[in-house]
Amino acid sequence: MIKYLVYFLIFFFFYLPSAEARVYLDINAPAFVQIPIALSKWKSVEKTPPTLTAKLYEILSENLTFSGFFKVIDYSQFPSFLRDREGVPSTLVLREWISSGGEILLAGEVALKPDGLGLVLTCHLMDLIEQKHLFGKRYEGHLQNFRGMVRRIADEVVLHLTGERGVHSTKIAYAVQQGTGKEIFTTDFDGANVKQITNNQSINISPVWTPNGEQIIFTSYLKRNPDLYAIDLEGKNLRRFSFYPGLNVAPSWSPDGKRIALMLGMEGKSDIYLIDADGKNPKKLTTGHGNEASPTWSPDGKRIAFVSDRSGSPQIYTMTSEGTDVRRLTFEGNYNTNPSWSPRGNRIAFCGRVGRQFHILTIGADGSGLQKLTHLGNNEGPSWAPDGRYLAFSSTRTGGSKIFMMNANGSNQRPLTSAKGGESSPAWSIRLE
Amino acid sequence: MARTKGCLIILFILCFGIIFMGCPKKTVVKEEPSLQKEDTARLDAERAAREREAREKEAREREAREREAARVKEEEARKEEAARKEFERSLVAKKTPGIEGEVFESSLLKSIHFDFDRYDIRPGDMEILKENAALLRKFPNVKVQIEGHCDERGTAEYNLALGERRANSTKNYLVSLGISTGRLSTISYGEERPLDPRQNEEAWAKNRRAQFMITAK
Repeated sequence: MIKYLVYFLIFFFFYLPSAEARVYLDINAPAFVQIPIALSKWKSVEKTPPTLTAKLYEILSENLTFSGFFKVIDYSQFPSFLRDREGVPSTLVLREWISSGGEILLAGEVALKPDGLGLVLTCHLMDLIEQKHLFGKRYEGHLQNFRGMVRRIADEVVLHLTGERGVHSTKIAYAVQQGTGKEIFTTDFDGANVKQITNNQSINISPVWTPNGEQIIFTSYLKRNPDLYAIDLEGKNLRRFSFYPGLNVAPSWSPDGKRIALMLGMEGKSDIYLIDADGKNPKKLTTGHGNEASPTWSPDGKRIAFVSDRSGSPQIYTMTSEGTDVRRLTFEGNYNTNPSWSPRGNRIAFCGRVGRQFHILTIGADGSGLQKLTHLGNNEGPSWAPDGRYLAFSSTRTGGSKIFMMNANGSNQRPLTSAKGGESSPAWSIRLE
Repeated sequence: MARTKGCLIILFILCFGIIFMGCPKKTVVKEEPSLQKEDTARLDAERAAREREAREKEAREREAREREAARVKEEEARKEEAARKEFERSLVAKKTPGIEGEVFESSLLKSIHFDFDRYDIRPGDMEILKENAALLRKFPNVKVQIEGHCDERGTAEYNLALGERRANSTKNYLVSLGISTGRLSTISYGEERPLDPRQNEEAWAKNRRAQFMITAK
């Protein structure tokens, strides 16, 4: 029984994957074509309720679509002779499946154990072009973790076809307008499991995750000053840990998790400082008369990108983590803010004003290759997924401000939640497993 | 002849003596004391009367001045009291859920406004700050928190920096007018507390402001 209470998965390799795994999709290319993946009807083994299997199918389809790498072909779109074929086909008959329209076939079955609690999911991935089996896996776990297990399958498919794991175990924290205040919420990467973390009617803004993913730190006006607080994911153990006079805003953890770069206003204007993880020992990094904002560490911990208006308008700069060797990165436009350094290290996403609207752009860490990713509404607050292949941001394109996601090249933009608006400053977690 | 000559000389000498020595002396000695006594008494009386009059006048004037001063003082106190009352009547308590403490807003402490992405005090708004400084001088126990606000455009974090700067440039201007820095605190709300939620130029202009909240009366 205890084994069901703990979330665990067992992998069984039915076949050895082909010796040289082909990378089907180069996600680093500026533009890529989505892989058409046929998702056949899954089989309900023995007394497994068909509704459970239907639910699995729905979540799997959503997750694969959400990854942005695939064009999912639902079995209802198959030619009639394939439509109702359940379970895993033999490699011998794969030729027939090419008429499904997919280049890849994902098939499988769901078995609910007689105790009604244990669940076994079996899946097989086939290459319909080369007519070969790619992998087969069996996942065993508790019904409670049904969604997590299905996401794991999607993650495995992403790994196999793109050469890198997906982000199916990540969450996104964000702020939501409630009355005149804002509260911190979290959601799974696919918009499921929306959860309110703070509930104090104050202004709670700019959340980020602690490096271990166990807490969220954010700025709150609870004590009539924008101070930094930490809270756990259950909304408990609220702790104020940086409360210098003036701003305590926009924290960014050093990659080693020991220090936090942030905006402090203790000298009457915002500057970039480093503090220890417990809020102590503030060390000022920026000098001069400008407004300095929104620090973000490079993944190697050597440099920090930030905003400064020292040139007369806000622009993106980088400096060493000692505050030396300051270099201006952006020269186009007169309002470039909100930098976010990609975990891959090569690009920095930011919010820039183009014409009368604010858009998400990316630029090489060396200042080359400026790319505009959004085209509708006002967009701000870019935050990278831990794999650097996606960006979350807020957009007003459908009316109120909502959290959106897109692939790092700007493709596949879609809203994260079904909320009406009032959402802002998304922060993507590490993989939480 | 010689006798006659001698008599003439004696007569001459006598006359001379009378004219030059005896007579004037005798006249002065005889008549002056009576004259002086009369005059002195009269003059003294007159002087005393004058002095008394002057003293009385002075006393009257002093009294009048004191009365006037008292009246002015009373008037001032009344005015001050009225001003104080007016000030107190102008206070609106603001208690915000989720934000510690109670502050007061006064229509007598006017907000100032800023251009987009700017934090310098507009020339026209300097007059407003001078009036605010005059009020603060009038009520030396009053302490204020200056709130820096932005419009919704641009990014939330950069707007927090901008709001911090707006609050502090307002504070610095008041300090330059002689208001002690200990009476002025600052807070930036960035774009989190718009006065007008609409999304147009008029609303944005209203929202880019430094607002005064009274933290001690």
